[in-house]
Amino acid sequence: MMPIEIGAVLYVGAIGLVVIGIAGIVLSHHLFRIILALVIAEAGANLLLVLSGFRWDAIAPIITGGGATQTMVDPVPQAMVLTSIVIGVGVQALALSLTLRAYGAYKTLDIRELQRRMSADLAGEAGTPLPQSLEEPVGGRPLPAAEGDGR
Amino acid sequence: MNTIVLTVVLPLLAAFVVPVLCRVSPLLGRLLGPLTLAYAILLTLQVWLGMEGKPFSIALGGFQPPLGINFYVDRLSLLFTFLTLVTSLLLWPWRNETEPRQYALTLLLAASACGLALSGDLFNIYVFYELISVASFGLAAGAAFAASLRYLILSGLGSVLVLCGIAIVYLQTGTLNLAQLSQLAPETLNTPLGMSAFALILLGVGVKGELFPVNSWVPEVYAAASSRVSGLLAGLVSKLAVLVIVRLLVLLFQQESALQLMLILGLLGAISGELAAWRAKDMNRMLAFSSIGQLGVIFIAFSIPGETGLFAGLALSLHHLLVKPALFLLAERWRGSLMGLRGAGLASPVAGGMFVLLALSLVGMPPLPGFWAKFLLFTGLAAQQSVIYQVALGVVLLSIVIEANYLFRVVMNLFQPAGDNSVAVITDHGWLNLGTTFLLSALLIAGMLFMGPLGAWLEGVAIQAADPVLYFDTVFPVSAIH
Repeated sequence: MMPIEIGAVLYVGAIGLVVIGIAGIVLSHHLFRIILALVIAEAGANLLLVLSGFRWDAIAPIITGGGATQTMVDPVPQAMVLTSIVIGVGVQALALSLTLRAYGAYKTLDIRELQRRMSADLAGEAGTPLPQSLEEPVGGRPLPAAEGDGR
Repeated sequence: MNTIVLTVVLPLLAAFVVPVLCRVSPLLGRLLGPLTLAYAILLTLQVWLGMEGKPFSIALGGFQPPLGINFYVDRLSLLFTFLTLVTSLLLWPWRNETEPRQYALTLLLAASACGLALSGDLFNIYVFYELISVASFGLAAGAAFAASLRYLILSGLGSVLVLCGIAIVYLQTGTLNLAQLSQLAPETLNTPLGMSAFALILLGVGVKGELFPVNSWVPEVYAAASSRVSGLLAGLVSKLAVLVIVRLLVLLFQQESALQLMLILGLLGAISGELAAWRAKDMNRMLAFSSIGQLGVIFIAFSIPGETGLFAGLALSLHHLLVKPALFLLAERWRGSLMGLRGAGLASPVAGGMFVLLALSLVGMPPLPGFWAKFLLFTGLAAQQSVIYQVALGVVLLSIVIEANYLFRVVMNLFQPAGDNSVAVITDHGWLNLGTTFLLSALLIAGMLFMGPLGAWLEGVAIQAADPVLYFDTVFPVSAIH
């Protein structure tokens, strides 16, 4: 009885990790946190992939002479997870290096601030007026934006 | 026949050799990429002529599917291999003399795109898809690193979704070979769980295909990146994402709800993209938003069941692949505010004339190829009984009206006498772009002249691709099973 319950917990955990990751990507404003959220989501997806081929009553899929005598875990998802972990690490490294470059250029990691400066840059380059939201209050903000915001 | 594998291997090899070779001999380094691509095109044509319209499958490394990974070669995958190679060659960074990185990334993109088109294994498709992603991050990051960060994060999110979808498919069926899946799918994937797998994969791959909710990276990247990169991403990479989804729809997810989900997302994309393009104030952003709209229309076309949908979608995809890079290349000349374009068409009539031609074809003026593609879409949509397809017909018509409005507004601007404060900037490398655009426009005209045979041939491609039984029989020949 016990193993089935652990399996269910693992499935819920995997899906939970993906949900936490996606929520983090959507809700965070700090670039580094967004990348960490992406890492968490990827871990969840990898766990789900491992679970899709796992059996509790089986051994590791390694043949040690004389052929297989016992039931083995399906090796295909494990190979796939290795591949996807490697791909994930590569993409994360790329994301971090781009983050460094963005920090070097704009001196902030707040995604909203980055967004604002980038569209200002693009608009300046194209010679168009800044995109404005209809909901944005006209005139000054009640509180001045803090200088070290989003560090 | 096995030489088709070289279209993946050779550009991949060249991509890693180029940076080294550029240090030893810059001239050889510059020549290697175009030569490799040209040779790969030659190989593709050879296989095309050799196969005589019959699909075949190649077991990589001698391991027979379903244990091994196979390449499935039919007319559709060969067509996309060919288009990939030709587009990469046309949009090759010719004027980039010192930086071998662009060469390597373009070759990497070409190799992985060919692999994606040919692969017959779901996980292999995922790997090639990620390779395309990494190559396109690199290409976009050259000029637009801040914009490509959002692209990267959305893309990473997309690959997580795809992985979850693949995990569900594997959990339900125990295989990832597309042919074997096509046999198992009607029983195992025709469930709510299978539907959720499709939704996850659709959203994940849709990041590259500019599908509605996951396309917010598009305007920024296209506005900031060079027109060559925008052309590659909008023209080529988005079509490959569409190709993956189409293959999955034909082989795995034949239920009606899958098609309807894609139809609804396509509708939202079409209408939101065109409206945003209508409001856009600079050239590149307008083209980016209109690209979202047209990709939405392509998704609508592919959601029509059967060969009709495939035929219409393929026609629209090919047309978009031809026209969009050409427009982006022209836009490099007129980068910036749409208001500043007054008189630019009078200053350079050739470019202005080509813009008019491309815009007319994009909207769908009768003799041009764009009309025939849209005509197929309309007849396909009108033949469907369901109400939602009739709604789609209305929405597509509306989107064409909006599209015509903003494109003709630009054309009007181009050919108005210039005011005193608006001078069109012509960059020094205008001739190369103009030449490539001219080539693409000539192809468009040629397509118009040979519309009859071209249409019949494309219909053949669509009919072959729409047959899951043929796919299974090709990968698992009857003689091998018994």
